[in-house]
Amino acid sequence: MSQTIQLPDICEFMTRHLVDVFDTMLAMPAALTPKAGLPHFEERVTGSVGFAGDSVTGAVYLHLSATFANRVAAAMLGLPPEETIGENDVNDVVGEATNMLTGGLKSWLCDAGAGCAVSTPAIIRGAFSVEAMPDVAREFLVFESGTERVIVEIHIKLN
Amino acid sequence: MATKILSVDDSRTIRMIVGRTFKPYDCQICEAGNGEEGLAAAAREKPDLIILDVTMPVMDGVTMLGKLKEDPALKTIPVIMLTAESGRDNVLQIAKLGVRDYLVKPFKEEQLIEKAGRIVTLQKKPTV
Repeated sequence: MSQTIQLPDICEFMTRHLVDVFDTMLAMPAALTPKAGLPHFEERVTGSVGFAGDSVTGAVYLHLSATFANRVAAAMLGLPPEETIGENDVNDVVGEATNMLTGGLKSWLCDAGAGCAVSTPAIIRGAFSVEAMPDVAREFLVFESGTERVIVEIHIKLN
Repeated sequence: MATKILSVDDSRTIRMIVGRTFKPYDCQICEAGNGEEGLAAAAREKPDLIILDVTMPVMDGVTMLGKLKEDPALKTIPVIMLTAESGRDNVLQIAKLGVRDYLVKPFKEEQLIEKAGRIVTLQKKPTV
């Protein structure tokens, strides 16, 4: 790992950034729960955006339960929270939220000297776990938003 | 005459938010899902303002901006970049291409109105 870019600094930035994205785009609170265990979502919606450059590669995953993903989509689209949103619209909102998170990280990394490009978002639905490659650092940030949980999973390899 | 605004973003959500933002104003919103479609829409619609994302499939926003500025018929259309990327080098590179303003996601709708209002006339629709 680079001497100038450290995983705790990335986690600190991503914590502030997730709170900002939720506050600005969704008018929803989100607070880091450092000692929270990882929740088991039976059905989840996960946004993922990759990033790659000469000295850094990785991906950011945003995990939401299917029910909370619907509420997040309603909030961003300006619809009542109980409204059922179509799957494509939920996917687009979760993808865009993940894009905002990863775009912020990309900018942070670029300003720290690790220039990189980001991919367009992808969505994964279901109950699953993502495995990291052996030489890739992985960190989970668990947030509470009301009674719901939000997980940001960061995979990063610094050369 | 309504102010014509072209929103170019691969996210339907963002295009919808842009449309919602300008709804109280006398604006006509047109949309495109990538840079290639955005260039075609700009040539067809001759918008007063383009709100442009960076990372998009098919043709990204930086490439579209470069092509726009090379086209004598389109180069004077002002562009606001609306992107999740705010890195110093990125912003400088885009600024050199002639962008009028830059708004970083996440953003408040009022911020977009404020920036657009500095470039084009935004007239509130009369309330019925």
